[in-house]
Amino acid sequence: MLQCIFLLSDSGEVMLEKQLTGHRVDRSICDWFWDQADSFKSLPVIASPTHYLFQMVRDGITFLACTQVEMPPLMAIEFLCRVADVLSDYLGGLNEDLIKDNFIIVYELLDEMIDNGFPLTTEPNILREMIAPPNLVSKMLSVVTGNASNVSDTLPSGAGSCVPWRPTDPKYSSNEVYVDLVEEMDAIVNRDGELVKCEIYGQVQMSSQLTGFPDLTLSFANPSVLEDMRFHPCVRFRPWESHQVLSFVPPDGQFKLMSYRVKKLKNTPLYVKPQITSDSGTCRVSVLVGIRSDPGKTIESITLSFQIPHCVSSADLSSNHGTVTILSNKTCTWTIGRIPSDKTPCLSGTLALETGLERLHVNPTFKVGFKIMGIALSGLRIEKLDLKTIPPRLYKGFRAQTRAGEFDVRL
Amino acid sequence: MAPPAASARYPSPSQPSGKSEVTDLKSQLRQLAGSRAPGVDDSKRDLFKKVISYMTIGIDVSSVFGEMVMCSATSDIVLKKMCYLYVGNYAKGNPDLSLLTINFLQRDCKDEDPMIRGLALRSLCSLRVPNLVEYLLGPLGSGLKDNNSYVRTIAVTGVLKLYHISASTCIDAEFPATLKSLMLHDSDAQVVANCLAALQEIWSLEASHSEEACREKESLLSKPLIYYFLNRIKEFNEWAQCLILELAVKYVPSDSNDIFDIMNLLEDRLQHANGAVVLATVKVFLQLTLSMTDVHQQVYERIKSPLLTLVSSGSPEQSYAILSHLHLLVVRAPFIFASDYKHFYCQYNEPSYVKKLKLEMLTAIANESNTYEIVTELCEYAANVDIEIARESIRAVGKIALQQYDVNAIVDRLLQFLEMEKDYVTAETLVLVKDLLRKHPQWSHDCISVVGGISSKNIQEPKAKAALIWMLGEYAQDMSDAPYILENLIENWEEEHSAEVRLHLLTAAMKCFFKRAPETQKALGIALAAGIADFHQDVHDRALFYYRVLQHDVHVAERVVSPPQQAVSAFADTQSSEIKDRIFDEFNSLSVIYQKPSYMFTDKEHRGPFEFSDEIGNIPITPETSSDIVPAQQYEANDKDLLLSTDEKDDNKGLSSNNGSAYTAPYENSNISSQMQELAISGPATSATTTQSSFDFDDLLGLGLTAAPAPTPSPPLLKLNPRASLDPRAFQQKWRQLPISLTQEFSVNPQGIAALTVPQSLIKHMQSHSIHCIASGGQAPNFKFFFFAQKEAEPSDYLTECIINSSSAKAQIKVKADEQSTSQAFATVFETALSKFGMP
Repeated sequence: MLQCIFLLSDSGEVMLEKQLTGHRVDRSICDWFWDQADSFKSLPVIASPTHYLFQMVRDGITFLACTQVEMPPLMAIEFLCRVADVLSDYLGGLNEDLIKDNFIIVYELLDEMIDNGFPLTTEPNILREMIAPPNLVSKMLSVVTGNASNVSDTLPSGAGSCVPWRPTDPKYSSNEVYVDLVEEMDAIVNRDGELVKCEIYGQVQMSSQLTGFPDLTLSFANPSVLEDMRFHPCVRFRPWESHQVLSFVPPDGQFKLMSYRVKKLKNTPLYVKPQITSDSGTCRVSVLVGIRSDPGKTIESITLSFQIPHCVSSADLSSNHGTVTILSNKTCTWTIGRIPSDKTPCLSGTLALETGLERLHVNPTFKVGFKIMGIALSGLRIEKLDLKTIPPRLYKGFRAQTRAGEFDVRL
Repeated sequence: MAPPAASARYPSPSQPSGKSEVTDLKSQLRQLAGSRAPGVDDSKRDLFKKVISYMTIGIDVSSVFGEMVMCSATSDIVLKKMCYLYVGNYAKGNPDLSLLTINFLQRDCKDEDPMIRGLALRSLCSLRVPNLVEYLLGPLGSGLKDNNSYVRTIAVTGVLKLYHISASTCIDAEFPATLKSLMLHDSDAQVVANCLAALQEIWSLEASHSEEACREKESLLSKPLIYYFLNRIKEFNEWAQCLILELAVKYVPSDSNDIFDIMNLLEDRLQHANGAVVLATVKVFLQLTLSMTDVHQQVYERIKSPLLTLVSSGSPEQSYAILSHLHLLVVRAPFIFASDYKHFYCQYNEPSYVKKLKLEMLTAIANESNTYEIVTELCEYAANVDIEIARESIRAVGKIALQQYDVNAIVDRLLQFLEMEKDYVTAETLVLVKDLLRKHPQWSHDCISVVGGISSKNIQEPKAKAALIWMLGEYAQDMSDAPYILENLIENWEEEHSAEVRLHLLTAAMKCFFKRAPETQKALGIALAAGIADFHQDVHDRALFYYRVLQHDVHVAERVVSPPQQAVSAFADTQSSEIKDRIFDEFNSLSVIYQKPSYMFTDKEHRGPFEFSDEIGNIPITPETSSDIVPAQQYEANDKDLLLSTDEKDDNKGLSSNNGSAYTAPYENSNISSQMQELAISGPATSATTTQSSFDFDDLLGLGLTAAPAPTPSPPLLKLNPRASLDPRAFQQKWRQLPISLTQEFSVNPQGIAALTVPQSLIKHMQSHSIHCIASGGQAPNFKFFFFAQKEAEPSDYLTECIINSSSAKAQIKVKADEQSTSQAFATVFETALSKFGMP
């Protein structure tokens, strides 16, 4: 049971305070929170002398929840994440100004999302029916009609229906449903160039605008590659168990149908070969990047970044392709884009160590970024999407993309 | 609401200073209050917004309470909401003015629009003014009967709020009974869930003084009700599902079919998108199968994958919460996760709190098959930019080295660390090499040659310095310049700020002296003199003690300070298995995150809905009948209570925590304490004092101190009577009378755990070592035995309680002895006997 939620800005200002139970949590708890050392403060769950604090940081906003009673910690953290999701969905992003400009809406949302410290409705679809988002259209309308109420007149009927994620009977002139496979690849390449870990975390994202009460089935050509899945509550469990078919009545709008994990990938699409040699106070750096196994589509937005160690006093790095930038916090980013056909991109240059140091003791880790459109690296393929009753003017769309998640190449 | 210090610290230019603006607002609101002009709602809205934004930044706007209430007559729902918000915030502080709001809130509770009815009811219940509760009853009663589920949902929570304002009013109005019937019959899942939450809370609080509430509370856990909820769990939203799962954890299944039914019903919850639901389900599975060892193990296999997916899918905060729980499971059943070690590899961008947890897990799951990969991975972190993580990973390598039998490759790695020439890497490694040498003295040759090359000037950290000095003293004969390094360090005595280092210097100088007297004599003299003059009490005492022992008899001194090296078989664990079990019982709670059971960090009143009565002590004990030496005896029921009594357990907690010195710093006192133990053992037994003195120490050290008698130590030799007998009744009496002289924990080898499937075999085995069993009991994974043994020659008994946890492969013993001084020796005998269990 949560007792209070604070929204704090970067500078430590309390932007919003929502007391949830009879026990009033004093704001001084926030001061206590800011006074803690960084290493302690960054922990998601902290015990203060008076309360347990859960925190979640999203886009510079700290969501801080307090309680005095024992409760499942993940429930508190999940809830805060959900609050952040809903707010950023409503406000079109998350930052200090957006929250301050729309604090009434934030209050209204929190009021419906949690009562007496216990989470209530967090489904965005239902919330949207209760509280209208502050979009451009409603602003225009309010100017024109003079009626600025951002609350819908009717109560969401979905709250009472047996499919709580779906409003009753939405109507669309054109029926559209899109399925996106979005995959992220996490990989670690160790100092000897071996691939020690390579895993894909993927999501099936959907966007549906379908009239009435559609019943969908989605099947994969090769469901056996999936290691472990998590489903949106709308997915029926039995059909998946018996035939690996996703059968569901979708929520209206955008949602995450399932997430999955695929492990034991053999290869990364790119190779990165870093080399650093130290000699009496200077280090020579060379990093080569190229295609290891061609995924069949173009690899785009390739970037490589690393933290230049503190003991380096100056760095002189350049590349034969793309651009190299070094920020004041000593982060070096090399933007490569696509791999050219005529040469192998290479970053080279020297690092001058601080006086007194002979060689580099700290080895940087290179973080690699890339994006491949049109393919899911795990090999997962959608076979078909069927609707039980086909509405008029139906459009179905499928897309896939893979991007780098945490792709570390160690030196 | 006091203006917070935060806004004072970060003043924003737009923030009004307070007073004048509030007065301004007040007059504007008053103007609008009576107005019915068109567009008045818009101006009101702007004003309300201002009031609430002041409230939000922490300015006290309670003075406009009256005006706000006057303006509240409106049909605009946003205005109403803002007004409710304002009223809810200030009502508690202004009970008199709150009366003004009752009227309009009650009116709104009868509004046509269900949304307004609901919101008004919520605000009405959130006023929390004790003398207004009478106005709540009517609206709440009709709210519970409202035909709109939104209103009913709010009304149910309202009942709980009312209960907290005035319990008696709530009970007298018989709201709990109404809630119960709603819970069983309402068609809306959210209403049902809220009823459950409210009733749980109300009845738990009432249970202490009302038998009926107690019965009702029990009835929530009845089989039909549990199945009523579990069968329709999919209808509830994710948060309500968590609530139901929490309830299911407390349910006691009637038989194994019951258990499997529940698990079948809940299996798909493990694939829910919400991590909180998954974790709550995991808890149900784990608790249900505690008594079924093999199913319990299958549950671990089943939950592994969903948990690992959750770790990689969420934000760092979510990952952390799940990793904390995984950490608990990994430590309990490392072998199940041994093949998944790659999941615990650290990624560069992860926050360090996540990395730390992962390092601990990698340490826990290292076994013969994966050690090479894990250590290779850990070694890469040693060059990490994050110094704290680099340190942690070196410590992890060391811990793995201490766990393993084959440390060949790891020693090489550790020695490579020393060659990295980074001060913190060297410091951590030295500490580890020292621990390693204490356990595996056979590596001394390789290690010492590398350690000898390290200049003591480069080491600043006290712990590392102490470790180096310990090695200098211990291996003085192998390091040619040890006496001179020590001499150098002793000459800088004054600059050495750490008492720990000075203590080690004293001991090392002594040890070095026994091995290479001529070279060290001078340094020892300086050290003892400096030590005796030291302002630090421990240093002073130790110096004085050494001095007197030396003065008494050099050979005795050598036996005390520098006894033949004994390998340490296992380092004390920081947490007892009992505490770990306790945390496991509190799965899916804060306890797991803090790695402490809740009684260690929460006040009793805040402990929440968790109740833990089950302890190891409640394991049913059956008297041992198979033993042919101890005559079989029937226990009386009340006698059992003694063996199971929990109060002595609490006594032990202090003992065991003293005894199990923290893992990271075992060397701080282990040297001296082992010597002291030796003294303590021989102390009372042999009181003979030798009068011969071979040296004149006053001359040697140039100090005028008088001699004091010192005891002569003799190594303990404990022989047990193979044909000892003890009446169970006498055992119980003794157990009650004697204090606990020793609590110890050690690991049991895997063969022993395997052989433990037949607990009788352990009893037979121990008997062959002259340790007899008097009672045993328990189920996997917790077994409990009571043993006794007798000294060979004299009628001196040792009583032992031994708890073996087969899943963590740990044994915990509590020894009570007639002759307390020898209990350590007995524990050693016991451990040796136990370690041979299961060996062919």
